[in-house]
Amino acid sequence: MQLTGRYYDGHLASPLDVICQVEPAAAGPMLAVYGLISRELVEQWPAGGVYPVPGRKGEMRIGMSAELPGARLLVTDAAEIERATAMLPALGEHSRADSRRQLVIAASSSLALVAVILTYLVGVPILAERVVWLVPPQWEENLGETVAMQMEDQFREQGTFVVCDPNPQSVANRALARFGQEVLADTNSPFNLSITVVKSEIANAFALPGGRTYIFSALMDTVKSPDEFAGVVAHEIGHVVYRHGFEQIIATAGTGALVGFILGDMTGLSVAAGLGSALIDTRFSRQHERQADEFSAAAALRLGFSPHALGDLLDRIAADDDMTKALALLSTHPLTEERRLALEAQPRTDTPGPGPFSAAEWRAITAMCDSVPLRDATTGT
Amino acid sequence: MSTGQLGERQVAVRFTGTRRQLFGILIRGYVLMIPTIGVYRFWLTTAKRRFFWSNTEIDGDPLDYTGSALQLLIGFMLAVAIFLPLYGLFFYLQTQNQTVAVLGILAVFVGLWFLSGYALYRGRDFRLSRTLWRGIRFDQDGNAWGYALWRFLWSVLMVLTLGLVYPGMAAGLWRYRYNHTWFGNRQFSMTGNWRKLAGPYYLAYFLTLISALITLGYVIGAQGYTNTDGWFMPDATSVLLGAVTLLIFWVTSSIFRARETTRMLSTLRIGACEVTVNVTARSFMLQSAVFGIVTSLALGLLIVIGVVILYAVGGEAPGSDGSLPNFATIFSGGLISATLLVIGYLLVFGTFTLLWEIILGFGFWRLIARGTVLTNPDSLKTVQARAEDHSLAGEGLADALNVGAY
Repeated sequence: MQLTGRYYDGHLASPLDVICQVEPAAAGPMLAVYGLISRELVEQWPAGGVYPVPGRKGEMRIGMSAELPGARLLVTDAAEIERATAMLPALGEHSRADSRRQLVIAASSSLALVAVILTYLVGVPILAERVVWLVPPQWEENLGETVAMQMEDQFREQGTFVVCDPNPQSVANRALARFGQEVLADTNSPFNLSITVVKSEIANAFALPGGRTYIFSALMDTVKSPDEFAGVVAHEIGHVVYRHGFEQIIATAGTGALVGFILGDMTGLSVAAGLGSALIDTRFSRQHERQADEFSAAAALRLGFSPHALGDLLDRIAADDDMTKALALLSTHPLTEERRLALEAQPRTDTPGPGPFSAAEWRAITAMCDSVPLRDATTGT
Repeated sequence: MSTGQLGERQVAVRFTGTRRQLFGILIRGYVLMIPTIGVYRFWLTTAKRRFFWSNTEIDGDPLDYTGSALQLLIGFMLAVAIFLPLYGLFFYLQTQNQTVAVLGILAVFVGLWFLSGYALYRGRDFRLSRTLWRGIRFDQDGNAWGYALWRFLWSVLMVLTLGLVYPGMAAGLWRYRYNHTWFGNRQFSMTGNWRKLAGPYYLAYFLTLISALITLGYVIGAQGYTNTDGWFMPDATSVLLGAVTLLIFWVTSSIFRARETTRMLSTLRIGACEVTVNVTARSFMLQSAVFGIVTSLALGLLIVIGVVILYAVGGEAPGSDGSLPNFATIFSGGLISATLLVIGYLLVFGTFTLLWEIILGFGFWRLIARGTVLTNPDSLKTVQARAEDHSLAGEGLADALNVGAY
């Protein structure tokens, strides 16, 4: 059986049309290459060492030896290819061995990646929780400052960032600061709390890393008692004390690295990286909300206001807010129902305390934003 | 096959692959990327390169791509090792005061821009040193760090001169790349300089600039817009001017791309073998127009299908007043919505990448291949192989930074 093809010797860029056949030899069968015209022996290769090289359709490329990757035989005719496969069983063996090897590499690297992801999903919340306490509070304060600036700029662009009552010595602001300090007492928190009430249509409150806490005026319109308001503020202070914001940022950085690793986009610039991170990160926050709720309830017991009030408020805000539900996927808050039940399980104070705020203080707090006009974002003025 | 002026033999490069074959390779690759959580992309890249290389036939002999997926995988791991400390640095910078943070992050980006020059050069080296023709390996020498530095300094000058020095930068980098390219023991040489690029570049630059300035001048100077409730609506003339600017940019930049490729590559020689490349601006324009139209249609269709599915899953018809239905029921189910989002994203991203590869990637390669003619190819028959180059572990950074086509 003979085989015609085009031969490259791997040393010189001078192709040769050849005719080949397998010949027995002392060291095993050899593939002998003869010039098609000259009929002179050009080279002999061990027939067991030949391997298929991936090529285009309707063509077979045969590597002659792993030692000299440039030495090749090109077979183009369908009948010739069939003959080559029959003549050189090593082609099929190498091909199968290579397929197996590729499969093993692909499968094991995929499995390794699965292991990395699982370790991450389990490990990062635990790790972030530990790491956060090793980071100097100053770092967290710096970060909080940066975030606050960006956020204020953003709200200001929409024309919705107006601080109600900027005077720190007013009755309302002094009351808020005093309440904050009382909640913070005995927690050893290194942060200086600042509570700012902002005019906004959205009923919300949040705490940034480092102690900056914002309360939106629409929330004040929704609260029905000082206890409810105190519950929300204490909840946000809970986030500050537990350093949840910073923990979230550490976790997000980790998620970004992982998603980038999967997508091969280590710069994390693609939409996929951002979306993937956002989806994974929502997972961390439920635990945080629960912790902050517990903190709020404990503060309520200590300072003598009702721990259940926060649950009532949550119920009212979330009950008919379709938007919140629609965004629940990316939202950071656990289900209201679940949180309300947990809060109601807290013991009720038997002896009603003095309450979180005096009557005068509460009047001042609820009136804080009354004189500030709510700017309409659509006019953009 | 024809003969040149001095009776030298001339031969055109052939390309034998079809879009249908590439489509098969890509679809298979995308599907396999799902169970392997993306790991298969190294195999897909390898398969894609094998397709392009093995179907490119020069003087009767096709190219060979000898790189393996494992090499790319290892290269990626090395790049990860470089990027993880950068991640840490980035994180640390965010926790510093504003000035330090902004300056630091800026410095990291400048550093990454510098590194991308290194990565590009190394990526090219990787591909060349894994390319065989007639059993002889190509290679690239030169200094990747030197290239990165040179490119970096040029790009600083680019910023300072608002892009006016581009012909000098591009021609210099083209020459550096090709003058350090080898086929076996024979070195390439390229002589094209900035004069080859200046005409078409400045034509594109100034025509687009003037048109953009006229548009801007009209919109601001002649109040070519209406302001309703903070929404700026350009009037008909502004829209027309903007469209004309885009059209001018599209035409002149296509002309520039075609001239750049044609003129620079036509100054290339491999010893006594001369390379001539001829690609037309028309083909570039055709490619980008087809890509734009097909991609818009495909993505539009995907969005329509997506909305229909959302309605079906949501079980609600759109309001008669044209208002959106209440999607709350869908999105409140965390897992289902997350799955829908991921599937939707993968479909959109996959469609875009697929069309990019099929229309632009394939089109560009075939255009260059079919536009290339070698004069005196027989002089290449005396080229000898050089020693193996084992130092290159994958494309490393290049794979991580996702630079370099093909």
